Amino acid sequence: MTATAVESISPKSSARAKRFRGLQQISILLLTLILAAISMLHARSIPNWFDNLLTYAAPIGIIACGMTFVMIAGGFDLSVGSITAVCGVVAVLMLKLFVGLPPWIAIPLAAGITVLVGALLGPINGILIAYVDVNPFVVTLSTMFVFRGIGLVLTSGGQSESIPKRFNDLFGFIYWGHIHPFGIPLSMPVIIYIAILAICLYLLRLTRLGHYVYATGGNAKASWLAGINVRAITAATYVISGITCAVTALIWTALSGTAQASDYQGREMIVIASVIVGGTPLSGGRGGLLLTVVGLFLLATIEQLLTQDGVNPHYRQLITGLIIVTVVALDAWFKRRKQ
Amino acid sequence: MTAITKMFSGVPALQDVDLEVRPGEVHALIGENGAGKSTLMGVLAGRFSDYRGEISFAGESVRIDHPRRALAMGIAVIYQELSVLPNLTVAENILLGQEPAGPMPGTIDAAAIRSQAQRVLDYLQFDLPIDEPVDQLSAASQVMVEIARAIHRNAKLLVFDEPTASLGNKEVDALFAVISDLKRRGLGVIYISHRLAELPRICDRVTVLRDGRKAATCQMADCRLSDLTQLMLGRDLADVFPQRRHQTGSVILEVRDVMSPSGREISFDLHAGEILGIAGMVGSGRTEIVRAIFGADHASGTVALEGKRIASRSPGKCQRLGIYMVPEDRKRDGNITGRSILENITASVLPKFSTAGGFLRRSEQRRFAIKMIDRMRVNPPAPEREIQLLSGGNQQKVIVGRVLAGKPRVLIFDEPTQGIDVGTKAQIYRLIVDLAEQGCGIILISSEFVEITELADRILVLRDGQLIAELPGHDADEEKLYSLCLAEAAA
Repeated sequence: MTATAVESISPKSSARAKRFRGLQQISILLLTLILAAISMLHARSIPNWFDNLLTYAAPIGIIACGMTFVMIAGGFDLSVGSITAVCGVVAVLMLKLFVGLPPWIAIPLAAGITVLVGALLGPINGILIAYVDVNPFVVTLSTMFVFRGIGLVLTSGGQSESIPKRFNDLFGFIYWGHIHPFGIPLSMPVIIYIAILAICLYLLRLTRLGHYVYATGGNAKASWLAGINVRAITAATYVISGITCAVTALIWTALSGTAQASDYQGREMIVIASVIVGGTPLSGGRGGLLLTVVGLFLLATIEQLLTQDGVNPHYRQLITGLIIVTVVALDAWFKRRKQ
Repeated sequence: MTAITKMFSGVPALQDVDLEVRPGEVHALIGENGAGKSTLMGVLAGRFSDYRGEISFAGESVRIDHPRRALAMGIAVIYQELSVLPNLTVAENILLGQEPAGPMPGTIDAAAIRSQAQRVLDYLQFDLPIDEPVDQLSAASQVMVEIARAIHRNAKLLVFDEPTASLGNKEVDALFAVISDLKRRGLGVIYISHRLAELPRICDRVTVLRDGRKAATCQMADCRLSDLTQLMLGRDLADVFPQRRHQTGSVILEVRDVMSPSGREISFDLHAGEILGIAGMVGSGRTEIVRAIFGADHASGTVALEGKRIASRSPGKCQRLGIYMVPEDRKRDGNITGRSILENITASVLPKFSTAGGFLRRSEQRRFAIKMIDRMRVNPPAPEREIQLLSGGNQQKVIVGRVLAGKPRVLIFDEPTQGIDVGTKAQIYRLIVDLAEQGCGIILISSEFVEITELADRILVLRDGQLIAELPGHDADEEKLYSLCLAEAAA
């Protein structure tokens, strides 16, 4: 057989390509570490600094896990901020509804319903995108308004809802709780984030679902012809995205004890930015959860540094935006050089 | 398959077509673009759930309404546009959709994927790197991956839809060796191709489609290629290649030390009224060199048009000066997908129809487009039709029309007849010759060397990015070009 001879015609070296890819991730990590070091120099206590950074990053990171699935499959989800807001509202309303029940029943019940709502809103996107074949950008742009609208209706016009006082302590634990393994402070959001990340890594790396998510993003038509149920896979990524939003909604609601339909506007952009800066392309088929973690920590460290030094919020947005565009432009530049 | 009919929005693409393939047979399926070959194979692959007619497979009557059904029965189609997943490895592509389950719930067994893929490759005696992402492989190796996938799925019938369209000659030889091997193993093969000359090498029987109907089925050994051409066209194609006067003028384009990213410096002259053929295998640097001349890729060296050096070349600048290119990859570099024939055909010459304020004079643009559609005989002659809805040959006519709209002085044709039918080919040859006779300088690249030997006044041969020979056109035949292009033969 002459396949050997054929192979010699393709001189491209993938080892080199991989090295370049790695180089980009490493440079982002390095940048993060440098910024983190600068920030730590001013910090009063290093464990506290870490605690703050991680607790800030964790809820965003949870949504970013779902978003990574969506984007590897070649999709896009603008509605995560709205889903999170609706879920927050649902959580508070449920707690109010269950005010007569003992906290240890009411809170898991409310949390369960919230996650269910997230898992039901996700497939609305999923069905429109996968089965009706509407562009994901258009679908989630519309549902971004629709879901927020639902939140407004639920709160009769957008008033802030507070959870019943008697649940404050136990529900607040979801955000404010800490454990101290080996004397390191770990907040509840971080623990939840690690758990979600572990589940998502399992799904994406080891399962058939995860394998087909990559396949679908690589070439949906070819995957379909290979017998893969591309539509179900696409829809499933939005379900995962919805669930991760609900989990984060619980954490953020626990932070303030209140929820409002207008919460978390613009958060979807930070989530998407984490995924992109990490290196998962908009075109799908490539990327990974750990890349997103890297992207997330770069953005979180910048935020931390700027907040800590009391930089005017206007400049914060400007600087964050500039860093995102620089990273993405560098990536594009590396790729051009590679060719 | 008996009496297969398939309609697209009321228009029949196939009418009462019969096709029969035996185990261990290679059955060729030929026809002009739009004759229904791909549609027929689409039916077989389960892409359409609304066809009419009977299909029987291995003695059983079946209805194939989903790709999964076709796959389960053992029918595998290897498409013209490859359906491998570029981001997955060779092993993952071979096992795609058939991944063995791992120990944990929902998981797949990565080690088993590799070992099963290796077993299939060993069985076929393919030497492919199983852990390499597929986008790192050559086009031919990607076809091998698809074949391996089909074999792993226990395919009994393999359909090749123009597998050689993007392959060089050496790669075609390798593919044919594989197909003969599959045949020996008792598989049925349906082989679709536009390159009629390659059919006798591997095919046993041939079925000709014309306008969605079966024109004939015959033994390959019994029919001559000219008969097939006639069956495909429904008329006699007396001269595919037009006669021409060889009359070349002064130097129109000087290329000096132009170096593409992957090749060596190349210098040559092009004369007015000359057709300069560039022969070389895929990967020889032939496309890279013309892209470099055209300024589509960054490159060193200088290009001068009628003695004037063109500083900082770009496609826009070259076209303003009168250098135009018909690119190799129509889908990627040619079509403005989603826009009409009208917009595509006038895309390079919009300033012609613009007022001083930058407004378009629509009616003038339209009149011009209709004239060009008529001249190129684009079918259907519907200016509003989106370009991607046309057949490959008609898309190419639109692209060539766009180039002609700009009053070219130098024209570069990179594989102008790839994947198009004989009728359109003849039309494009005629056009190239006409342009040369009007004094254009023409650079022609083709994998079908007969085009170069028949049309070119002078031939440059490229190998591994180097210019290795220059021949006068009348002195070259296909054999000679092949041996020059293939390193082994020259050594």
